[in-house]
Amino acid sequence: MNSIKNKNIPKYLIYTVLILALPFLIQMISGTTYLVMILCISLLYMIAVTGLDLLFGYSGQISMGHAAFFTIGAYTTGLLNHYFDMPLWLTIPIGCILPTIIGTILAIPASKLKFHFLSLATIAFGEITYYFLYTSPGGFTFDFKGIGAKPISFLGQNYIKWYFFLLVITIIVFVFKTYLVNSKVGRNFIAIRENTHAADGMGINVRKYKVIAFTVSAFLTGLAGSIYVHFIQYISPESAQQKQSVLFLTMLLFGGTTSIPGTIIGVLFIEFLLELIRPLQEYQMLIYGIMLLVVVVALPGGIYGGFKDLAAKIRGRKKAGTDKTDGKANAG
Amino acid sequence: MFQVLLINGLILGGVYALIALGYSLIYKASGLLNFAQGDFITFGAFMGYFFYDTLKLPFVVAMLLTFLVAFVLGMFLEKFVIRILLSKGVIAIYIVLATIAVSFIIQNAMQMLFGTTTLRFPPVFSKGTWKILGINAQSEAWFCLFVSLLLMVVLHFFVTKTKFGTAMRGAAMDAKAAESCGINTSLTTGVTWGISAAIAGLGGILIGPMYGVFTTIGANLGRKGFGGAVIGGYGNMYGAMIGGMLLGLVETFVAGYWMGTYKNMIAYIVLLLFLFVKPTGITNEKAIKDV
Repeated sequence: MNSIKNKNIPKYLIYTVLILALPFLIQMISGTTYLVMILCISLLYMIAVTGLDLLFGYSGQISMGHAAFFTIGAYTTGLLNHYFDMPLWLTIPIGCILPTIIGTILAIPASKLKFHFLSLATIAFGEITYYFLYTSPGGFTFDFKGIGAKPISFLGQNYIKWYFFLLVITIIVFVFKTYLVNSKVGRNFIAIRENTHAADGMGINVRKYKVIAFTVSAFLTGLAGSIYVHFIQYISPESAQQKQSVLFLTMLLFGGTTSIPGTIIGVLFIEFLLELIRPLQEYQMLIYGIMLLVVVVALPGGIYGGFKDLAAKIRGRKKAGTDKTDGKANAG
Repeated sequence: MFQVLLINGLILGGVYALIALGYSLIYKASGLLNFAQGDFITFGAFMGYFFYDTLKLPFVVAMLLTFLVAFVLGMFLEKFVIRILLSKGVIAIYIVLATIAVSFIIQNAMQMLFGTTTLRFPPVFSKGTWKILGINAQSEAWFCLFVSLLLMVVLHFFVTKTKFGTAMRGAAMDAKAAESCGINTSLTTGVTWGISAAIAGLGGILIGPMYGVFTTIGANLGRKGFGGAVIGGYGNMYGAMIGGMLLGLVETFVAGYWMGTYKNMIAYIVLLLFLFVKPTGITNEKAIKDV
């Protein structure tokens, strides 16, 4: 174990330096802070997609309404700050807790639904959230206009500062995820995903762990949303719609599920791709749709998964000789 | 008030029923959810507009052409997207994502070809309103209701009385057994997708004259139409017809008498209620429950 770690130290050192230097490099090359902002949004999406990965990748439950948790988190902190002038260090945690509670309440009946019908239930939840925010009782959510929010005071509009702030949070989320999926809870998630009946037979309380997965997932997505609103300083009901949920799902599947590098690659790829084709304006979504279709049909396994397969193939060729002898030895 | 709501509810219900029928047929035949179903309505509405307004063809011809084009598009989708994915043995989510991608493509292609403004579908009949059973309503509305009801009856006879319909039902029930009886299941599945797309397309040209033609007309109806299919028992053809009708009536009446501002939420609340309380729907179709 130690020797492996020692060998990897230079590699990790390069990664660390690269991650720390990334915003400065991007700003230097592009000459604006715009791309740094996109990088910050990507970090926020990584948190949300990590939540979705725990739900879909690990416990095998689909959600096509995750954007609703994101938006609820954002509205909660934004509105509390607006109406009651509560400090952000208080509203952001509440913005995480409310979607968590709603997620749990939704998951209790929803966890008995099979894949396709769970996706329908979550779509319905997302649309209800959208219409509620769009025409709220007494207009307390400012309806279709959306809401503005204050930036976090010590970060202001400095995207480089934001980058490091979000980097720390994202790393904490990744560490938390790694810890969770390697714990008993994570193993139960995987057991449920692989075979629900077998998991039940092994004494795992399937419904309970399905609800836990949903809760944790809603928490992370809500966290991303409640920080997002203070970063962009605006949110509108549209972000609760199916399109945004599908975007999260696309990012997750593009990079490949159950892996942190997959999440990072998926989010960065889709986010920068959308930025790249933004100048095409009305063709943007058309091209996005076509690319999505082509990737799904040609590369189901995600970009990261595809690369891993390719790498395994190349390595496999080198190893093929030794593997054969190994096989013989075992057979003998 | 009651009469107006009744007729509006029935028309909306007819359209929901057509969408729900598409969902149920596809679910029975392939065990899949098609998220592009609603966009076939958009496609049908634009195609109808193109044939009727741009090419000045007679309305009946425009309807038939729309039906045909949507049918071909549906079969095309099954052959070149769904079939490929199924043969690769991918997990279901990729097929869901593929149909969503198709829905993006249809919406944005229509936007590219016809623009973002809502197009006004020219009136189909010279007489603005018809009075039937003492109820006065827009002639296109009556027409929409009649055609959707007629379509359901035709579909019923098609799947029960014709040889091909029987083959379709056989293939949906047990593909392997049907295959060994000499049924071309690849063809029947393709045709099922074609029919689903075609009836949604026809729904599009029927509601075009009432709602106007715009790129998200179908996406909203399509998402709500899931409610119809779930109420009726997902996968059951007759359940879908009844469920769609019920959903249209419930939405219109609840919005009319009680919560008008939340009109758009009603279908989703009904959908959630049925999924949580009675997921097998009114026909008790055993398709949904897990654990």
